[in-house]
Amino acid sequence: MLCKTDQTLIMTGERERLKELLRTRLIECGWRDQVQMLCRDIVRERGVHNLKADDLIAEITSKGRALVPDSVKKELLQKIKAYLVQDM
Amino acid sequence: MSDHGCIHLNNFKAAKGIQPYRIIHTYFVACTTAEARSRKALACFCHVCNSIGSRLHSCLHCIFFGCYIGGHIQEHAKLKKHFLAVDLAYGAVFCFQCGDYVYDQELATVAREHRLKAAKSLGMPTVYHSWEPSRYEIELLRRNPRRRKLIKNTTVGLRGLLNLGNTCFMNCIVQALIHTPLLRDFFLADRHLCQFQDEPGRCLVCEVSRLFQEFYSGNKAPLTLHRLLHLIWTHARHLAGYEQQDAHEFFIAALDVMHRHCKESNPLPTTNPHHCNCIIDQIFTGGLQSDVVCQACNGVSTTIDPFWDISLDLGPSPNSEVESGNSSNENQSQSSDLQQQEQDRTSLVDCLERFTRAEHLGSSAKIKCSKCQSYQESTKQLTMKKLPVVASFHLKRFEHSNHFHKKIKTFVAFPEHLDMTPFMSHCRNHNNNNNINTFRGLNSVTVPDNRYSLFAVINHIGSLDAGHYTAFIRQQRDHWFKCDDHLITRANLQEVLDSEGYLLFYHKQILEYE
Repeated sequence: MLCKTDQTLIMTGERERLKELLRTRLIECGWRDQVQMLCRDIVRERGVHNLKADDLIAEITSKGRALVPDSVKKELLQKIKAYLVQDM
Repeated sequence: MSDHGCIHLNNFKAAKGIQPYRIIHTYFVACTTAEARSRKALACFCHVCNSIGSRLHSCLHCIFFGCYIGGHIQEHAKLKKHFLAVDLAYGAVFCFQCGDYVYDQELATVAREHRLKAAKSLGMPTVYHSWEPSRYEIELLRRNPRRRKLIKNTTVGLRGLLNLGNTCFMNCIVQALIHTPLLRDFFLADRHLCQFQDEPGRCLVCEVSRLFQEFYSGNKAPLTLHRLLHLIWTHARHLAGYEQQDAHEFFIAALDVMHRHCKESNPLPTTNPHHCNCIIDQIFTGGLQSDVVCQACNGVSTTIDPFWDISLDLGPSPNSEVESGNSSNENQSQSSDLQQQEQDRTSLVDCLERFTRAEHLGSSAKIKCSKCQSYQESTKQLTMKKLPVVASFHLKRFEHSNHFHKKIKTFVAFPEHLDMTPFMSHCRNHNNNNNINTFRGLNSVTVPDNRYSLFAVINHIGSLDAGHYTAFIRQQRDHWFKCDDHLITRANLQEVLDSEGYLLFYHKQILEYE
């Protein structure tokens, strides 16, 4: 079911549209800048040569998730639901 | 980390070129065709555990997809000695020998091309990508190593303006314009292209651009606006002279001249030939819908006109109400008190409510209905079809008629945050425009957000003939300052909201991308 949903979303291009909407919202609410600042601080602290993308991801993922505003999550969820209802 | 990849990626490119990357990217990262999309939909899962999320990567050497979180792409790399893989969500290349993602200019160019094409194939408007300095800009940065860092509570951007003799009407508007966030971004980014290259000193937009530089130079001494005043005198002759002018009139004249001066030089393609794309129109122009409904046949004729500001009546004046209303003397004082209170409670939202209410045009103003082809009584209703980025409200405090000129001092409450949704065309006249809702339903990738926040207020103190203008402006999101010609003093939000308010400037909180 999950797989099927994902496939339809990709095929119709809706997934890209939702992704773009999410990207826009995250920039608007300042999330992107916040996460960028967090990354910058970590890089500065450890030095750019002692840090792999994996380390950064490990450290930033939970913080980044927590910073996503509820309103953005809600909007996306509502959009996906609306799309699925319309599609079935 | 450089953008020249790593030795392993370079060796791979030398042996096989960029074609393998190109193919993976166009089919599985940024699909540029419908065929690619359906291939991506059906083929993108981990070949070991079948998962679809979990950071799927594709091997750059052979046909293999594996997830990163489950460790399956790593296993594959180790087993087959295929040390390069492409992240299928973002298109970045992972080198297992370096143990990290590597960046290569050539591959990044391919990726950018594909992303643009992919967005186009889905009919999406231009996709956001962050600013990257051009070679010229890098050179500029190198040649000018001094950087100015903005700290919290900085007062950079604040400068007093000398009064040149009754020029406070201009000073207060300039303060409001200089502190309009989007306009500031435009000018500080040096985006104005002048169309009067061979006539220096003629273009008002250039002068405003220069003023922005002055305001943000860090110098705190008050400025004189003699050049701006002179340009306004030459381009808007009705404002020439040494007497006090109306700040609202100056605001509209300034926008008009700036709009005329940047009209020709705009490089952006316009979608509508009648619609100008200059910075003034992009920020200040909205669309006002006027629906005239024939009372005989209910036929609606709709027109949409552009606007730069909304002029609002403050409501029925207390004097005329008393005169026409109550004849018995004992109730008169009481009722006028009540009406005074009623007056005191009026607000910007009330004014907007009144402004967008359907209004009977009366029997003396019959209009020819285009549907039933006869002269009929009708109602007229104004609503917001398109909201501007900056909503400017003009409270009609100055009343001019043949017999008298007077100033209305009624207090009008205005909020820090304002939602314009109730005054939009599709909300206000739901009764006669059903088709708009269905249209919106189909097109609803983004929910329109019509919230605004206050960033400048212009006040008029004193009487009609001997008055003075001051401005409250917002700096750095929530610091307020009062600009009284050359004097700038700290203010707080409550003072701003308690002020009488003549012109109110609101900035859209969330910008839609066109």
